[in-house]
Amino acid sequence: MTTTLIAQVSDDGLKAIALGIGAGLGSIGAGIGVGFIFGKVIESVTRQPEMREEITSIQWLGFALTEAVAFYTFIFGLIAFFL
Amino acid sequence: MSPRRKILFAILGLYVVALITVIGIFGWARLDNEEFAPQNEFKLDPWIELGPFDINKAVLYLFIAALLTTGSMIYVANRMQAKPNRIQTAVEAAYDLTYNTITRGNMEPEMAARWFPFVATLFFFIWFSNIIGYFPLPVNTAEKVSVFGLHLPAFSLYAATANLSVPLVLTLMVWVTYQVEGIRAKGFLGYFRGWIPSGTPSKMRPVIFVIEVISQFVRIISLSVRLFANILAGHLLLLFMAGGLAVLLGLAALGFLTLPLAIVFFIFEVGLVATLQAFIFATLTSIYFGEATAPHGH
Repeated sequence: MTTTLIAQVSDDGLKAIALGIGAGLGSIGAGIGVGFIFGKVIESVTRQPEMREEITSIQWLGFALTEAVAFYTFIFGLIAFFL
Repeated sequence: MSPRRKILFAILGLYVVALITVIGIFGWARLDNEEFAPQNEFKLDPWIELGPFDINKAVLYLFIAALLTTGSMIYVANRMQAKPNRIQTAVEAAYDLTYNTITRGNMEPEMAARWFPFVATLFFFIWFSNIIGYFPLPVNTAEKVSVFGLHLPAFSLYAATANLSVPLVLTLMVWVTYQVEGIRAKGFLGYFRGWIPSGTPSKMRPVIFVIEVISQFVRIISLSVRLFANILAGHLLLLFMAGGLAVLLGLAALGFLTLPLAIVFFIFEVGLVATLQAFIFATLTSIYFGEATAPHGH
């Protein structure tokens, strides 16, 4: 029963599901990470406002490094979808 | 209600009314378009055939970015004034960012003086490549538009950095250079000894060394794919939100729904991602240089 069901589902459909799940899970991870970074930045700036400039320059580095994770999963999902 | 809020609500109401009208006129029936291939937006058609040195639109974008990088810097450098005008202020701020924050913050002073031009050129080149990718240029030779009998290429968005080859070449250049510079600074054996943190037990040393070798090679992938994936994902989002999805599904009303999203993403990409990715690439480059040449290992 299940094997016939799987055989009916087209290959493209499965690939699309894989892309959706992969990119979605990647976005969850990156979202948590980015939220964590900005939360910590707010926390540390309220504690030590005089360190603000230094903290913001590190903040963008951390933000970009974390955010890139979402795009990695997205791009690898696209590669799996199109190739 | 304040007048600004009234205007906002009026725009929102007009948008909803227009959306309902568009759905009323065109309906909400899906009519799949088989001819439109979104991946063709990123396909590189050779314009001038020269074997491996084909001139295509990515090469054109690289030329424009290189011209803008050198041209804008030489232009500003030749017209330095004691009382800076706007362009000079902007370029001075960018110079300050690349010199103090990116280079001096991560390298020894002597190394920073030697490698500042390289890092700053990388920053400005990647920045200009990203930025011109968000302005429509007549480069889409697959879709021609005829104006008074002339077949002109259609306007399209493309960025050289949305093609893996360009970030990969920049990354390989950085990677090889910092390895060579590290060996020059510490000697051949001293450089590789520097990869192992001091105080590691002698039994653990081979394991740590293998992990460090792997992480050095992973840097090639992470540095290049980060830039490429960010720009490609941004362009894909813009493509689909600004009408690609509506054309693909044949749903005219959907285009009306996704257009505001496209505008928001465009502002986000131009305002943040383009600059941030150039900044990250340059910062990581100088971190790698600083780490490879730091006197006491890391």
